[in-house]
Amino acid sequence: MVELVPTLLRQELERLAAENQRIDGRGQWDSRDVSLEVDCLYNAEGSAKVVWGDTIIYAGVKFEIRTPWPDRPTQGSLMCGAELRPVAHRKYEPGPPSPQSIELGRVVDRGIRESGCIDMEKLCIVPGEKVWGVMIDIHVLSDGGNIFDAAGLAAIAALRTAVVPAERFDVGEDHRLLVNGSPIMASFTRAGGRFVYDPSEEEELGGDERIHITLGDEGHLHSLQKGLRGVFTPSEFAEILAVAEQKCTKLREMVAEKEGN
Amino acid sequence: MGGYGDVKLLRDDGKRLDGRTVDEMRPVSIEAGVLPAADGSAMVTHGLNVAVAAVYGPMEAHPRKIQRQDRAVIDVRYNMAPFSTGDRIRPGFNRRSREISKVTAEALESVVLVERYPRSKIRVEIEILAAEAGTRCVGLTAAAVALADAGIPMRDMIVGVASGKIEDTVVLDLDKAEDNYGQADLPVGILPNTGEIAFLQMDGDLSIEEFNLAMKYNFKAASEIHVLMVDALKRRYERGDN
Repeated sequence: MVELVPTLLRQELERLAAENQRIDGRGQWDSRDVSLEVDCLYNAEGSAKVVWGDTIIYAGVKFEIRTPWPDRPTQGSLMCGAELRPVAHRKYEPGPPSPQSIELGRVVDRGIRESGCIDMEKLCIVPGEKVWGVMIDIHVLSDGGNIFDAAGLAAIAALRTAVVPAERFDVGEDHRLLVNGSPIMASFTRAGGRFVYDPSEEEELGGDERIHITLGDEGHLHSLQKGLRGVFTPSEFAEILAVAEQKCTKLREMVAEKEGN
Repeated sequence: MGGYGDVKLLRDDGKRLDGRTVDEMRPVSIEAGVLPAADGSAMVTHGLNVAVAAVYGPMEAHPRKIQRQDRAVIDVRYNMAPFSTGDRIRPGFNRRSREISKVTAEALESVVLVERYPRSKIRVEIEILAAEAGTRCVGLTAAAVALADAGIPMRDMIVGVASGKIEDTVVLDLDKAEDNYGQADLPVGILPNTGEIAFLQMDGDLSIEEFNLAMKYNFKAASEIHVLMVDALKRRYERGDN
């Protein structure tokens, strides 16, 4: 479904930006309320629910045993996919995976994969024969804006609380999946001419380009993505990167706290 | 129905493996208005099953060939999340989900006052997040609460319930093991106020007497769940957000 971008909404976002305000009353770098629940679904080996403003996303982790790639006989595999189901918004329609859902899955996938938090060698059961395939599925139930950050948070929280179902596959005892680190994403959208953190649905609808930054525990960059039409300057990027560092640290603490329970 | 007679599903004291009596449901909880983006929504947990339903519309029916001049069409999608079952399900429709979507849509069209909205479409999205036998019924119940939450007029609610047969004994609300190794499953959609039936499927082997007993259990369960549905809607409107 093609969305009409109301000219009035764009004008309003510009007016608000000039007064350093946001449409829902937040400051430029403020987040909406975020809540995280882990281990919340029967049948998923790891699961998490994120409620981020009006956005609701579940992530579930499943395992399978597969034969390793011939050139990497001792390495398991990781796959992260996302579905923007029609349940999540009236703008989403049924059908094969849309470019948006593929982008979402791949950006989250890159952040997790490139942070190195999963040691693929540790997923080996019998070299050359059997390795674990780890699959993270992101299920968006309500799109109230900024699904990227919510999806990234749900994915890493589900992964960090996942239990490898070795007994069910008859290859040893069940054990916690080893995850070294928590890559966390921070997203920014240009609304009213300037970047804001954690865009709401309206800011995305009436805004321009978006930038997604995934940072690891050491503050290193692991995935970047610029989406939609628009350009930005290096100094704008430096400014949002500094904000991203703070935001990611806080969210990483939230994940650690939930795991402890 | 798996129908393997050698798996023991009833204990010596006559109770079931999870301690339930033959006519006892798994615990059910219902919440309405759970998805901010939807016009109406509900989440139902039934035992370990988790179903979420969203309603969008009434809206323009497109493509135009699905339009009905005299009524709305209800477009249902029943979908199991990839992580909802023991082995991961590949995303996308399959024959089972298409059939369940079709009969669920027809059941809902039997209770919604579709004549009020000619040429329009009401979208009902049912997502199963965790599956432990009986998901089509849980999804149907969730869809009914979501429709009511969306303010769409209905002649009655509709409640999804199932009974079945294990070890030659009729029982209410099969769990996973009972579904896999039992002898029959009878899922129905009951209109709790009128006592009519809008959804009916069955597989396995039931005598007429067993069928009658299974239906009796189903009606009992439907009235119990109906109380929870009404309560969920009341709580949702007391809360009063969006």
